[in-house]
Amino acid sequence: MSKKILIIDDDPNILDYLSALFTDNGYDVQVAPDAVKGLEAARRFLPDLITLDIEMPGDWGPRFYRQMMQVKELKNTPVIVISGLSGNEHAIPKAIAAVKKPFDREELLRIVKEAIG
Amino acid sequence: MAETVLIMDSDREHGEAIRTYLQRHQYDVTVACDAQKILVHLENQTWNILLGDPLIDGGTAASGIADFLKQDAMVQLIVYGTTEQVDRAMDRFALDASAYMELPVNSKALMLNMARARNHSLKNRKIDRYVQRLTDLHTARNHFLQLFDSVPCFISVQDRNLRITAINKWFKQHFGNSVGGYCYQIYKHRTSPCEKCPVIQTFEDGQIHSTEEVVTALSGRQYHVLTHTAPIMDEKDEITQVMEISTNITQIRQLQDHLTSLGLMLGSMSHGVKGMLTALDGGIYQLETGLQKQDEARVSRAFEQVKTMADKIRDMGLEILNYARSRQMQYAPVPVADLVENVMKNIRPGAAKNNVICKVFLPDSPGIIEIDSVWMESALVNFLENAVDACAYDHEKPVHKVSLTVTIEPAERVCFRIQDNGVGMDQETREKMFTLFFTSKGSRGTGLGLFIAHRVIQQHGGTVQVTSFLNQGTELIICLPRIPPGSVGENGVNPVSS
Repeated sequence: MSKKILIIDDDPNILDYLSALFTDNGYDVQVAPDAVKGLEAARRFLPDLITLDIEMPGDWGPRFYRQMMQVKELKNTPVIVISGLSGNEHAIPKAIAAVKKPFDREELLRIVKEAIG
Repeated sequence: MAETVLIMDSDREHGEAIRTYLQRHQYDVTVACDAQKILVHLENQTWNILLGDPLIDGGTAASGIADFLKQDAMVQLIVYGTTEQVDRAMDRFALDASAYMELPVNSKALMLNMARARNHSLKNRKIDRYVQRLTDLHTARNHFLQLFDSVPCFISVQDRNLRITAINKWFKQHFGNSVGGYCYQIYKHRTSPCEKCPVIQTFEDGQIHSTEEVVTALSGRQYHVLTHTAPIMDEKDEITQVMEISTNITQIRQLQDHLTSLGLMLGSMSHGVKGMLTALDGGIYQLETGLQKQDEARVSRAFEQVKTMADKIRDMGLEILNYARSRQMQYAPVPVADLVENVMKNIRPGAAKNNVICKVFLPDSPGIIEIDSVWMESALVNFLENAVDACAYDHEKPVHKVSLTVTIEPAERVCFRIQDNGVGMDQETREKMFTLFFTSKGSRGTGLGLFIAHRVIQQHGGTVQVTSFLNQGTELIICLPRIPPGSVGENGVNPVSS
């Protein structure tokens, strides 16, 4: 069974891009446009990895992460931060990687592969 | 040094006798016996006293002697001669001679006249010096006045009550002849002194103080000025007045504001730009892989995305350019109907693409409005585009509408009401919507559009009123005077940099 990735980003274009990229590389993908929907999707979908945008309207990425940590089934799920904010590598200290937009897709795929195969 | 005396006497022996007598009294004496010799002596040497008959040889030297006296006020003429000679000399020289003596010369009278001539000469010298000094003073005063006037600053001198007692030309040109008025009144149209007045501080401590102020000139223009004060003391070292020197730094401030917000803008926009570039990457990736897989749906979707992103990046570039360009307001009368038509031309395509119905309501003969059409059109387009976007973001309502209603209100105000039934705004968004770099569109907005649009409306002397309810829609009422306040006599300034 293929590994599952949940993508959380408020920009539909980027959701589209990441979802195509991961699907093309054999992952099972779901997307969420904000942190609230992201949390719902995560509970339901139980992904192997989450990519998270830091700067989103409504609930910010870091708050999503704190809430996610309180869910037993999710708290060990690796998170990759993908954001345009510089200094994003410190926003979520436990994230396995922080990628800056615009990112190198080979690099992103390599990080994902290292994390979940 | 002995005084030099030239004796003019045709009787050589008589002349020599007088010379001997005078030499005994320490005078440096020369005798000339005819007109020609007198003229030669006058030409070659300076003399303190000319003594004798100036009309010697039938008066051939008279005009030369008169010239000599006129040239140098120190030279004194003492006439002696026969009754006839003295009489003729009186006719010719009158007050130009300091004494007239008939022969035979009384030695006491001669010495007294010589002494008096000397006194005369000294007094004349003194007066000469005073005149010279007065002239110097006058020149210096004029020079200082000229300096005071031509300094390219606003200079005023004020008394303890902050009443202006003197101003320079620049001050007069920009603030009128305000001597006698109060500083705070002339500069700021206030009725009481400003807080932390540097003039008052200088009166208190005698030190130089400085502040930065915004003042309003006669023309209604506002200037940023850097003000310095300096005490003016009397001879007892007491401060009687204070001089205030204000330098106009408006342009520097404008430039600084402009640069600051430009820098701020570039910083804050980089996030948006990064998002767009990522999305563009995404589009290109999908295009590439779509072509490889010959997935036509993916290709056309990707192409659409690339196109949209290219548009967005272009728009953002244009907005930056728009903002960076420093353009003066150029007001011109425009028919309201034309303005609305031009604006709607820009709006309709985008609205149609998002299935938003556009309605325009114009009154009969809405008339003419004086605006800078380039700025005003882009402002109204911006408001309407936001209305269309608000509809496009809403997924709750089946039908979306944007309407523009023009009404003519009392006091010659033209109002544009823009209504939409889009996503609406919460209170926070409503309050911040005109703030620089605030955007509710996430990476899709620059936070510049409404900020600039609002400034344009303000610059035209207009107002914007916002009513909005989340998930219901938004109503904007933009009211403009038919003639903007800054249009008479002078152009306004760039709405974003002023």
